[in-house]
Amino acid sequence: MPGTHLEPASVAQRVSQELFSGAVVALGPGLPCYLPDALPDTSGVWFIADSGALGSKGGEAHGSAVDAGENSASLLSGGSFTGVVDVAGILRGGHTDIAVLQPSQVAANGDFVHWTSEETAGLFAPGSAVDMAYGAATVIAVMPHQYPGGRSNIVSQCSLPVDGAGRVNIIITDVSVIKVTAAGLELVETAPGWTAEEIIAITDAPLTVSSDLKGMTFNVPTLEPTNKVYSSAIEALSDVLEGSIINVDGFAGPGGMAHYLMVGLRDLGVKKLQLISNTAGVARVSAFGVPNIIDHSILVENNQVVKATASYPVSPSASRPSAFEEAYNRGETELEVVPQGTLAERLRSGGAGVAAFYTPTGAGTLLGEGKEARIIDGKDYILETGLRADFCIIRGYKADTLGNVVYKGTSRNFNPVMATAAEITVVEVDEIVEPGQLGPEEIVTPGLFVNRIVVRPADFSAYLEI
Amino acid sequence: MESLADKERLPREIMAMRVAKELPDGSYVNLGIGIPTMVSSFVPEGRTVFYHSESGILNCGPLAEEGNEDIDLINAGGQYLEPVGGMSFFDSAEAFAMIRGGHVDVTVLGSHQVSATGDLANWMLPQRGVGNVGGAMDLATGASGVIVAMEHTDRNGEPKIVQECTFPLTGKGCVYLIVTDLAVIECDGQGLTLKEVAPGWTPEEVQQLTGAKLTISPDIREFEL
Repeated sequence: MPGTHLEPASVAQRVSQELFSGAVVALGPGLPCYLPDALPDTSGVWFIADSGALGSKGGEAHGSAVDAGENSASLLSGGSFTGVVDVAGILRGGHTDIAVLQPSQVAANGDFVHWTSEETAGLFAPGSAVDMAYGAATVIAVMPHQYPGGRSNIVSQCSLPVDGAGRVNIIITDVSVIKVTAAGLELVETAPGWTAEEIIAITDAPLTVSSDLKGMTFNVPTLEPTNKVYSSAIEALSDVLEGSIINVDGFAGPGGMAHYLMVGLRDLGVKKLQLISNTAGVARVSAFGVPNIIDHSILVENNQVVKATASYPVSPSASRPSAFEEAYNRGETELEVVPQGTLAERLRSGGAGVAAFYTPTGAGTLLGEGKEARIIDGKDYILETGLRADFCIIRGYKADTLGNVVYKGTSRNFNPVMATAAEITVVEVDEIVEPGQLGPEEIVTPGLFVNRIVVRPADFSAYLEI
Repeated sequence: MESLADKERLPREIMAMRVAKELPDGSYVNLGIGIPTMVSSFVPEGRTVFYHSESGILNCGPLAEEGNEDIDLINAGGQYLEPVGGMSFFDSAEAFAMIRGGHVDVTVLGSHQVSATGDLANWMLPQRGVGNVGGAMDLATGASGVIVAMEHTDRNGEPKIVQECTFPLTGKGCVYLIVTDLAVIECDGQGLTLKEVAPGWTPEEVQQLTGAKLTISPDIREFEL
């Protein structure tokens, strides 16, 4: 007589062993929604629900938060609300470490069927499961091992249309843990009271038994939020390598520009940087700023910049050239001019995992030359690709220790978009506060986009000494 | 005979005033740098216009009073704004989704050249070898209509309204109205129609300073403010 089937809470405890500190975890509806309750509130794990809540936790009702299963959910301190488009971007843009889903079938090759079941065959409602499965680095399928009638949910080949081809990495059921490998399914753990033979008998797919077969355990790991607060700009940027691509925030003037981080980058002296930025430093030579304000020019003058991708690269007046224009005219830098809206959308796409998009902007112009052109519904479009950088320096007003950021006025501009489109995003703020001190509806950049936080020192001056 | 080059032309304020008349009540409007920026001062009383700026603000207030400048509250020209109720802030991707998505009704831009078919060339002077496109291409492509406000001739007296643009284009066929210091000219994508002339100017004189053929409107009149 086999053992009993595990309760959802026990399955969630086993799933929690797959998490790590700072993990970003997308939860599909059903059994995955038990996972947040398995962990203490202070774990620092980012749970994403496709309803638009970040940092949510199942259980008692709180405000208007719902999880992916439309259950009311409570928002953890430092959680925030966002729109469904942004959630899709978080999923698709590679910002998610783990997706936990409850498929109705998983096949031996990792294919899975999510919403469709034999009862609903013909109806196809993947929800965000597809985005989750394709965006996350690891996909965990959490499901009952069998249908209520006893038929296996794990099959040789899916009998229904698949929502994700070969996407599942680990299957955790109410009786076992199975790894999906290139060679097929491997049974690695069994629930208390179950033998490998008993699991094989109720599984409708070939199953090899691991030489290291273990019993399932239910201890919950101790996870802690990643420390994102750095003591100085130099410390926060110390691993910027020569040749790095760097998103530099700001519109044109002194507002919304991370002056302190720019100085840090200059003092580090790292060369051959490629800047992606609205301007290539015009605040010092235009009406946007004042003559001695810090801008990108400090990097150009220090011979650190080999390329700029910008919409407004040079001074509005040819008689007052910027440092970048002079370097460009000397042949020391490359320049890619991109229309401002295209630049913003290329960054948004890069951050949201969209490879390219058709835009009417620039069609039939110099900036559209050499790009794939296409007529859609009688209108001319060109293909523009997503942009992504190695590092990003942004300027916020306040951040909490989880990296959630709020901005001031028009100093938001490129900051939130750029924050999504880099491997490492560093934010410079006036003040760091505790989670919960920034309102969930007020947070513009959720902390999962932010890796490092520095405070602009009170005695820091954004003006050069002259 | 007085040379046309020396003949008095309209000041920028009058051009701005004339453009302001074109802005529909309740419309969302983006104003470019220069003469366009002045348009907001002349919107006829009783009309409400909502200004959009690429710096990430909708419902911009007036320019900030001296001493009230805030680096976190600017328009796309880098001018400081006064805070007003009902303004909202958004990021650059959203600012341009508004433009590209056709949610901004009218854009007023300056230009180096406009062609007979409404092509716009305002972002780059070839002799400089480098130019600032900024948001101009998005505005030219996305706004439901572009009004150009510019001087009729350049500083050398050469026409800025030409048969075909010789400078790099910003957008094709996007201009529907040109307001200069000499004339108001409609573009229907096929050709140009002279609708209004500055006081003291004849249609023939305006044509002499224009590099493209103008059809003279049957109801041609003096600048109407």
